[in-house]
Amino acid sequence: MTPQIEISNVDKHYGAFHALKDIDLTIPKGSFVALVGPSGCGKSTLLRSIAGLESISSGDLRIAGERMNDMPPRKRDVAMVFQSYALYPHMNVLGNLTYSLRFKGVARADAREKANQVASTIGLEKLLDRYPRELSGGQRQRVAMGRAIIREPKAFLFDEPLSNLDAALRVHMRMEVRALHDRLGATSVYVTHDQIEAMTMADHVVVMREGRIEQQGSPLDLYDRPANRFVAGFIGSPAMNFVDGTGGEDGSSVRLDALPGAPVLRLDRRIEPGRPVTAGLRPEHLFSGGETQITVPIRVVESTGSVAYYTTDTDPELMLVEQGRGKLRPGDAAPLSIAPGDIHLFDPKTGLAL
Amino acid sequence: MRRILSSLTDGKGFDLLLVGITLIFLILLAGLPLVYNVLLSFQEVDMFNLAAFSRPWAGLDNYREIVSQPEFGLVMRNTGIFVFGSIAGQFAFGFALAIFFMAKFPFASTIRGLFLVSWVMPGLVVGAIWGWILAGDFGVLNAVLQGLGIIDETMFWKSDPALSIWAVTMANIWLGLAFNMMLLSVGLAAIPRDLYEAAELDGANGFQRFTTITVPMMRSTIGAVLALGLIYTLQQFDLFPAITEGGPANSSNVAQYWAWQWSFRIFDFAKGATVSVMMLAFVLIASAVYVWSTRAEVRG
Repeated sequence: MTPQIEISNVDKHYGAFHALKDIDLTIPKGSFVALVGPSGCGKSTLLRSIAGLESISSGDLRIAGERMNDMPPRKRDVAMVFQSYALYPHMNVLGNLTYSLRFKGVARADAREKANQVASTIGLEKLLDRYPRELSGGQRQRVAMGRAIIREPKAFLFDEPLSNLDAALRVHMRMEVRALHDRLGATSVYVTHDQIEAMTMADHVVVMREGRIEQQGSPLDLYDRPANRFVAGFIGSPAMNFVDGTGGEDGSSVRLDALPGAPVLRLDRRIEPGRPVTAGLRPEHLFSGGETQITVPIRVVESTGSVAYYTTDTDPELMLVEQGRGKLRPGDAAPLSIAPGDIHLFDPKTGLAL
Repeated sequence: MRRILSSLTDGKGFDLLLVGITLIFLILLAGLPLVYNVLLSFQEVDMFNLAAFSRPWAGLDNYREIVSQPEFGLVMRNTGIFVFGSIAGQFAFGFALAIFFMAKFPFASTIRGLFLVSWVMPGLVVGAIWGWILAGDFGVLNAVLQGLGIIDETMFWKSDPALSIWAVTMANIWLGLAFNMMLLSVGLAAIPRDLYEAAELDGANGFQRFTTITVPMMRSTIGAVLALGLIYTLQQFDLFPAITEGGPANSSNVAQYWAWQWSFRIFDFAKGATVSVMMLAFVLIASAVYVWSTRAEVRG
């Protein structure tokens, strides 16, 4: 696949603050890439650097093969959907949609025609005469998308576009944004702090922390094979449990020293005996069926009807997830069964996966 | 009785009390004098009935006499030059400075704050300083203009009838500059940054962003600044006695100074009131513009 956006060795400094550290990222044409990470990780800075709203200190940025480092935003031919939507409050929906066409010398009638097409794609036909202040949050969001779509840009940039919507609408718009991306055959870069959005929408997820790319790959790849403890804890909900332990004497098991009774779990790979490790156990992998390996006391039960969440009375606390209503009550001993392949091991010092 | 008392402390009564105090204050100190002034302009007033309330009714005689004064046309023309020249100058330079100070550079807000000096200074002091700057034989302005080669001979700003009204206008532009800049800065700062970013990505260059985002988003601020500018310019009095005293030969006389001359130089209070009532009509137009421009606040 031809790369649409190529970022190589990009660094960004704000005075003494190193905001982006040696970023390398290739975004193929037609793909949907999510940049995800906690606040302050540099994901928005990276997106704004692609747009040209921030300049990069060193490295190369290419869009459709053309070097863009010093190109002003208006010549980059990328469209951005802002978190605040940034709709022009003094223009109605039609004015907002056709704003960019004014500067391309598109005739009024043609612009109107095109706006009608875009409006019908995203369900805004009846709202063309309204002003942004007369629209609901979801409608504003659609106008912001429409304003990007009408330009047929080289890439769509999304800066947390769904975070101002209520939960139900957010889930719905997630699907709609992705469907729109597929229909337009667009190239999209999507910034979010919500790993579920990243996992469900993107073909390629980039996890960032403190200005660095921690890991990138397909969503399930990150889930199954996190490169380090940070990615393991960030991807997946509820978050992975981490328990300190030691490599077993037989070289193919791990002893969880931090849990009562220091239970031993079998592994499907070799490990140096006596080596200190941090074991990562996903909450949803602790009732895999098969023989019981550990029992832990339950302290808190939260049930949603379809899924039950248990918090254990141990130090560190474990979070367990059971499908269905859940039969355990506070004070019960939960029988855990863990498949050897589901155990992640990390170096306690470097945090890297073993 | 208890209910009235408790509404005073907790309910609508308290709101009415606050509004009432303000209303009484306004009626006593602004409303009644205004009405009295209008009344005065329709009466015959002389030194003997000055203290009386009921005086002979003059109808529109005062107005007819004012309009038929030989200097009436000149004073109106001067007032027009002074008002529109001042507003145009204050607004254009004020807007330019406001935009300039939106740029981030070291000490930007400190330097902007220093501009307030012109606003804080009493008009008489400003008038005296500009009187020196504009002086024909030793003034700084002439020295600078001659040094730059813009003019060859000395310009007598204050005593040349063709220049005197412009001399006062220049001083007034300087005086109102900071006020305009501050109000416009506030308006500029209220425009969200991301609108400019969105417009920039949508392909608008700097000038297009100014005309399609800045100006329409500033509409209510601009209306307010221009209306207040008109009101303040019509109120500007101090500069005239300090710089030209309306002269030479009324060539820099304006309505507000003329009204004062009628009342307190000639002691014809009815004519002074008449001129000020005529000015009131202009201020009412300005107020209407102000109310109209702030009627629909455009905010996302």
